[in-house]
Amino acid sequence: MCRVSQTSRRWPAALRGIASVATALLLSASALRAQHLLVPMDDAQSNHLKAYGLTFGALTDGVRSEWLLNFRGGSFLLPDIPALRRAALLSGVTAEPIDDARLTDIRRQIADGNMDAVPLDKAPRIAVYTPPQSMPWDDAVTLALTYAGIPYTNIFDDEVLSTDLSQFDWIHLHHEDFTGQQHKLYLGFRDAPWFQQARDRDLQMARKHNLPDVPTLKKTVADRLRGFVDRGGFLFAMCGATETIELAIAAFNVDIAGGSTDGTPMDADADAKMDWDRTFATENARLEFGAGVNAMSDIDGHQVNVPSRRQPLGTFTLFGFSAKFDPVATMLVQNHRNVLRDYYGVTTSFTRRTLKPGVTVLAHEEGAPWVKYIHGGYGRGSFTYLGGHDPEDPQHAIGAPPTDLALHPNSPGYRLILNNVLFPAARKRPLKT
Amino acid sequence: MRRFGACCARGLACASTSVAVAAVVLASSAMGQALSAQSRPLGNPTAPLIARALDHENGGRYDLARDAWLEVLRAGGAIPAVLGLERVYTMTGDEDLLLPLLDSLVPLTPTDPQLRGAQLRVLVITGRDAAADSAFRQWRDLRPREVAPYRDYARILLYNARPQSADSVLAEAATALGGTRELLLEVAQLRAALGRWGEAAVAWRETMRDQAYYEAGAVFSLSQAPPESRDAVREGLRAAQPPMGAYQTLSQLELGWGAPLAGWQVIKDLPVSDTVVYVWGQFSEEAERAQAWSAARDALVAIHAARRSRGLQDRAVAERGANAALKANDPETALRLARAARGPNEAPKAELIGIELEALARLGRAAEAEQVLADAAPQLGGQARGFARSIAWAWIRAGDVLRARAVLADGPLDADDAVSGWLALYDGDLVTARRALRYGDVAATDAVAALSLLSRTRAERSPTVGAAFLALARQDSTAAVAALLRAAEELSDAAPLLVTMAARVEMARRADVRAIPLWTRVATGYAQSPEAAEARLEWGRALKRRGDARGAREQFETMIIEYPGSALVPQARRELDALPPTRADECAE
Repeated sequence: MCRVSQTSRRWPAALRGIASVATALLLSASALRAQHLLVPMDDAQSNHLKAYGLTFGALTDGVRSEWLLNFRGGSFLLPDIPALRRAALLSGVTAEPIDDARLTDIRRQIADGNMDAVPLDKAPRIAVYTPPQSMPWDDAVTLALTYAGIPYTNIFDDEVLSTDLSQFDWIHLHHEDFTGQQHKLYLGFRDAPWFQQARDRDLQMARKHNLPDVPTLKKTVADRLRGFVDRGGFLFAMCGATETIELAIAAFNVDIAGGSTDGTPMDADADAKMDWDRTFATENARLEFGAGVNAMSDIDGHQVNVPSRRQPLGTFTLFGFSAKFDPVATMLVQNHRNVLRDYYGVTTSFTRRTLKPGVTVLAHEEGAPWVKYIHGGYGRGSFTYLGGHDPEDPQHAIGAPPTDLALHPNSPGYRLILNNVLFPAARKRPLKT
Repeated sequence: MRRFGACCARGLACASTSVAVAAVVLASSAMGQALSAQSRPLGNPTAPLIARALDHENGGRYDLARDAWLEVLRAGGAIPAVLGLERVYTMTGDEDLLLPLLDSLVPLTPTDPQLRGAQLRVLVITGRDAAADSAFRQWRDLRPREVAPYRDYARILLYNARPQSADSVLAEAATALGGTRELLLEVAQLRAALGRWGEAAVAWRETMRDQAYYEAGAVFSLSQAPPESRDAVREGLRAAQPPMGAYQTLSQLELGWGAPLAGWQVIKDLPVSDTVVYVWGQFSEEAERAQAWSAARDALVAIHAARRSRGLQDRAVAERGANAALKANDPETALRLARAARGPNEAPKAELIGIELEALARLGRAAEAEQVLADAAPQLGGQARGFARSIAWAWIRAGDVLRARAVLADGPLDADDAVSGWLALYDGDLVTARRALRYGDVAATDAVAALSLLSRTRAERSPTVGAAFLALARQDSTAAVAALLRAAEELSDAAPLLVTMAARVEMARRADVRAIPLWTRVATGYAQSPEAAEARLEWGRALKRRGDARGAREQFETMIIEYPGSALVPQARRELDALPPTRADECAE
C-alpha cells in the first residue's frame, strides 16, 4: 500500500542523514562537549505545530528525543545536530542550543516539580481513516499532520477490512458516521453531488465485501477498529467519529439506522438492545429516533444541528495531571494555554452522564454537563476522543474553506491533536510508586 | 476585605468620613422626603449645592466634594448625592463607604434604577460578589418582567471584566423575559468580551436593526477581533438581510483592519438611496482620513455618479474624488473628475487645473496639458507660470526630454525640484539627481528604484543609467533591461541592484526564462548583497512557476538558511509549505 499523503514526507528529506550524523557525533562524544537543542513550547515558541513535526522527523530518522512534560509548555529536547538546526530554521521552529550544565539545571527543575522527562523512541506509524475523494469539509488532523510535515497513510473502508491494521500504531478518525447514516445529512444535502457520490461509493464497498447495506459495512469497519485497539493500537477520534463509533460498536447486532439509509426503520427497542460492554468510552446513551432530527444520540452535549437543542459555545479547561504518576494523560494535555475556546462539530462534546466510570476526562467546560476531551484504555490499547470539528473554526460549516494553519502556527487546539501523534512514541516505563 | 484594610490604613480621615455618612444615614426620617424630591428639576434648593459639589469635584478637591455631596444629601438630593459620592469615592478608593448609605436608601425606594445601579456597581467593584448577586435578585424579584435589573447588572459585570458572570445574567434574562431582544446591546458586548466574535457580530447586527445609531459602538467593539476571527464577524454582519448599520459597520471594520477596498466592496452594491449615499460619504471621509486613496476614490466616484443620475452636480465631491484618484495613482479618473468639478461659467480653480495637469502629465499627454494650461491662462493670470513644472513632467513622461527642457527654459526650476532631478537623472547627472530627488514629490512608479540606486552608488555620472530610466519612463522594457545590465557593468557598487531591477522588469513581463539567469546572477554572484535574499526567493518562485519543484525547494531552503534575518523568510516558508513533495519525499515503501 502506498497511499502516503503528499507533503507529509518533508521531514525525512530535510533530516535525511541525521542518523549517520548522530552516529558520528556519538562516536566522537568523548572528544566533544555534548550539546542539545531545547525546543520550548511556551510562548517563546514561534511555531508550535511545526515543532511536533521537527521532533517527529528526528524520531523518524532514529534520533532519540525527550518530551519534557510540563516544562515550558511541554518542551522537546533534541540532540544538537546540524541537520536538526537546519530543519528548525527552515520551518521557523524556535530551538535553543543548551549545554550540559543548563540541561542539568533543567533536569533538577523537572525532578523538583510536577514535571517529567519522557524518552521518545521511535516515530509511530500513522494512518488516517478518510474517504478517497475529498468531502466539502476539512479534517483537522490531516491539516495538522500536513502542516507539521508528519507522514501518514490514508486508509478507508477497503483497507480497514482487507489489510492488517497492526502495521499502524495510531489510527485517526474524524468525521465519519460509523452508523452508516452520513450524519443524517440527507436532511439538507440529499441532492448534493458529493452526498450522492459518497452514498454510491459506500454502497459499492458494501457489495464488494458481501455486506447487505451501508450501516452493516460501517459497523463492520467500526468493529475492526475496535479490534485494532483491543490488540494494542492507539485510536484518536474527533467530531462525529467519536459518537458514531461508540453507537456502531454497541449496536453491532441492532438496527439503529433509519429507513432512509437501509430501507427499514430503526429497531423500536434499540435502546434496550445496545451492548455497551463493547464500547470504548460511553454507556447508556439514548438514541435519537426522530428521522427528521439531525442528531444521533444524547452523547453529544451541544447538539449543534438541532436548533431547539443547540447549546452555546463556551471555553474548556485542560486538566493538570501528575507528570510523574500519570504521564500519558499529562502528555495529552501539554499546552501553552490551559483554557481554550470551544468549537462545534457534529459531535462537539460528551455528556458526563454517558461516560463510563474508567474514562479519564482531559478537558471539560466548567459547570457544564459535558466534557470536551477524554482518554481511556481498552484491551491492550487506548483511545482518545476530542469533540468538535476544527479548533480554529468554531462554526465550521459544510462547504467552508479549509483552515490555513499557516495563520495559526501557535494554535493550542491543534496542539491537542499533535500531542496524540507523539504520545505513542513515548517509551513505556513502569509507573513510579 | 481588601477594601476594609485599605480604609483602615488611612486612619482617622477615613473614620471621620464613615461617621459623617453614618450620621446622614441615621437621619432617616428625612430620607423619604429626600427621595420624593428626586423628580424635581434642578431649579430647587439643592441646585447651588450640587453646583458647588461639582466644582470641588472638577477641581480635584475630593474631601471638599465629599462634604458638599453630603450636604446635598441632607438638603434632599439623595440621588445626585449618591452618584456624586460614588464618583468621589471611586477617585479616593473608598467605594465601600457608600454601602451604608445605599443600605439605608435602597429599602425606601427599592425599585429605583439609579440607586439599584449604584448599589450593584459598588458591590461589584468592592468584590462583594455574593451581596451583589443578592441585590440583583432582590431587584429582579420586585420587577420580574422588567429588563432593567438584568441590563444594569450585566453591564456592570461586563465593565468589570466579568463576562462569564454577565453571560449567566443574560442567560437568565433570556429565560425570564422570553428572549434577549431588549438586551441585544449587552449580548453583543458580552460576546465580544468573551471573544465569541461571530456571535457578537450577529448581536450587533440585530441591535442595529432597531437602533442604527449603534454603528460606532459596533465598530469599536468588533474592531478588536483577531484576524482569524474576522471571517466570523463578516459572516455575522452580512447574514439575515442585515440592516444598513451592519453594512456600514463592516465597511468601517474592513477599513480599520487595513483592507479599505474590501470595506468599499461591502457597501458599493447597495441600492442607491439618500441613506446609502450618506453611508458612502461617511466611508469616503474615513478613507481619506486613513489615506486609503483607492477606496476613497471609488466611494467618491460612486457618490458623484449617484448625484448626477438625479441631475445634481456636486463639484466638491468631484474635486475630492479627483484628488483621491490622483493620490491613488489613477490619473484617468482624476482627469475625468477634475473636469466634472469645473463650473461651466466660472474661472477655473487653480487647484483643479493643477490636478488636471498632473493627471495629464502622468498619462504622458503633454500636448493636451499644454492646451489646457493655455486655455486657462487668461483666468489663472500669474499662477499659470507655476504649472510649467507639470507640463515639463508631462513631456518627461512622454519621453521627450528636449521639450521638457524647452518648457522650463523661461524659468528654470529650483535645483532641488524633483523634475530637475529626473531630468538630471536622464542626463546621467547623478549628483544633481541625488540632491533633487531626495524629497521626490513627483509620483512615479520607478521613483523608489531611482532613489535606491542613487543611494547605493557613489558614481557622479552615468549616461547609461540615465538611458535606462528614460527607457523605463517610456515604458520600453527591452531597452530598459539592456541599459540596466550595461549600467551594472559600469557601476560595480550598484551592480546587484541594477541586475535586480532588470530581473524585476523581466518578471513584470512574465519572462521567467530571461529573469531566472538574472536572479541566479544576483543570488550567486552577489550573495552578500542586500538583493540576494530577494533574488533567491524570486528565483525559487520562477522555478516553481516553470514546474521545477525540486529546484524551487532548494532555492527557498537556501534563502531561509542563508538569510535567516531577512524579512522575506516568512514568504519563503510559505512557499515551501505550498510546494508539492519531491519524488524522493514520496512513498518510501
